[in-house]
Amino acid sequence: MAEPLIRIEKLVKKFGPFTALNGVDLEVYPGEVHALLGDNGAGKSTLIKVLSGVHDPSGGQIYVEGKAVKFRSPRDAAQAGIGTVYQDLALNQLMSVTRNFFMGRELKGPFGVLKMDQMNQIAHDEMKKIGIDFSDPTQAVGTMSGGQRQTLAIARAIYFGAKVLILDEPTSALGQKQQMGVLKTMMKVRQRGDIAIIFITHNEIHSKLVADRFTFLSLGEVIGKGTKEDLAGDDIRRLMAGGAELGDLAAELASVSG
Amino acid sequence: MSERSEADRLQSENWFQKMVRRPEIGAFLVMIVIIIALAIASEGKAFNALGLKNNVAIIAQLGIIATGAALLMIAGEFDLSIGPMIAFAGMCMAIMMKWGLWTPVGVVEVTPFLAFTVTLVMTLAFGWLIGTIVVRSGLSSFIVTLAFWFFLRGLTEVCFRLINQNTNVSGLPDFKQESWFAEQMGGEVFGWFYDAWYWVGTKVTAGLEFTGDMTREAKIDLIAYLGFFNINRKMEQWVTGFDARLLWFIIIAGAAWFVLSKTQLGSWIYATGDNKDAARANGVPVNRVKVGLFMFSAFCATIFAACQVFDTNSSDAAKGMFKELEAIAIAVVGGILMTGGFGSILGVVFGAITFGLVANAVFFIPWIDGAWFRVFVGTVLLAAVFANERIRKRITGGI
Repeated sequence: MAEPLIRIEKLVKKFGPFTALNGVDLEVYPGEVHALLGDNGAGKSTLIKVLSGVHDPSGGQIYVEGKAVKFRSPRDAAQAGIGTVYQDLALNQLMSVTRNFFMGRELKGPFGVLKMDQMNQIAHDEMKKIGIDFSDPTQAVGTMSGGQRQTLAIARAIYFGAKVLILDEPTSALGQKQQMGVLKTMMKVRQRGDIAIIFITHNEIHSKLVADRFTFLSLGEVIGKGTKEDLAGDDIRRLMAGGAELGDLAAELASVSG
Repeated sequence: MSERSEADRLQSENWFQKMVRRPEIGAFLVMIVIIIALAIASEGKAFNALGLKNNVAIIAQLGIIATGAALLMIAGEFDLSIGPMIAFAGMCMAIMMKWGLWTPVGVVEVTPFLAFTVTLVMTLAFGWLIGTIVVRSGLSSFIVTLAFWFFLRGLTEVCFRLINQNTNVSGLPDFKQESWFAEQMGGEVFGWFYDAWYWVGTKVTAGLEFTGDMTREAKIDLIAYLGFFNINRKMEQWVTGFDARLLWFIIIAGAAWFVLSKTQLGSWIYATGDNKDAARANGVPVNRVKVGLFMFSAFCATIFAACQVFDTNSSDAAKGMFKELEAIAIAVVGGILMTGGFGSILGVVFGAITFGLVANAVFFIPWIDGAWFRVFVGTVLLAAVFANERIRKRITGGI
């Protein structure tokens, strides 16, 4: 088995008396989509915030390509090759595709003058690589669809050196067709073979469509993990609900409506 | 059947549609209407040699502070302290030049350049302080700069009374005579423009002269006619140049346009005003951008004050009254969004020209009441806000 890009060992995160993560282990391999599943409050968001340098872990260790790392800021994490695409995508609606693509990392010549033509070209090419052909990179992001924005944010993260792409519920709040578009984009990135994707989702169907490996979180702990082959469909459903049997749930619902 | 992709749904536009979508188009149209209306109502006097000079003086004055206010608004903040900052800066310069500067080795006499430099250090420090309070506290800049509006107005008057026993300084010597620096602030520029105008005028009006047998009316008509050719009633050159503030306006607006549309800093200013959390997540130093722009606004107010002080050789605690509101109004009419993240300097220039002309109209149209200016500002401002909101919705797809 290849060396994991990221290995997390016994990660603990406490907020005062509250334990958000209680000894989480995770291994992420290049060229794979790793689905991180769990109910609300399972600790998914905390885990990715620790991974992207927003929160300091209270215990445990993160290894990137075998080396122990410690992130003091999101910038540290980005430099280590962890690119996080948040739900709000960190895009500016009134600004052009190109300006968003290069936001904070503009290509500039003397006196801070932007190399606009070069930037337009790169933004266009990079987005084309993973699925959308944009005729006009000077159009405002506000005119793009949700799926296109997702693609822009992913293309941007990859171009600026992300080896691990963390996608925080990229398919929620999108229409059917656009959800499929985003999944297609993920598969295109996976095909490159050198990038690992951590795919955070609520959606069992989406995770089964694209993921190679699964980790289930519940109440801050890992309650199940395995590859696609290891897990039968029913297992996934049961683990997603936090380990509760769906049969029990049906009985409970019946008693309420009783 | 052809494959349709989502990107095809955005209609490509021709040059006319693109132009109509530009943020400054509304300001441009209003400006054209005002120029034509004023030319007709003043029987052309608003644009004769002296009329143009006076109009340009006001336009440049308003344009300088509106540029500072506009950049700050694009970054999502307001500055209500522009007016009091003008009064404060004017007070500092005038008092220093009249009374000298207290130093450990005694009171030293102050040159115009030193007075300006010391003042600029103080106003920039105030700009820095305002900006730092806004970004650190997260309070609305409206309330923070409102506090500084009172603070600086009060401080200016107190200093005037403590040091000069009066709320103004007047009758300063004309520093423009010996100080190159004072000449650059309060003197005249682009003399060649008026020289050329006069030269052309002498050719066109050759042979015309005042004679003893002319009626009073004929003389008045001739004076008005000569006025269009930069010739006064003694048949000499009438106006020798524009006020120096025109050059400052061109420099400041030009620099702002360049920074905003061509540089990384410009991108950062837009990003800061559009969605500062997104900007920050991408590594844009949002706080530094904002503090820097509060300082730039203070810089513009200081230039405004310096031009005024060296032009009139006086200063007054009531200077700069309402200027912060006029600057914000011009920025909005120029297409700057109240919510930040969008706008252009070209629109602000159009806005400044419109406002300057209307503010001055009373001098060229004797039958008009000067207070109509405010009625006009209120009406245009409201119309502009609605227009800007439409533009914003069009760009963001109605969200």
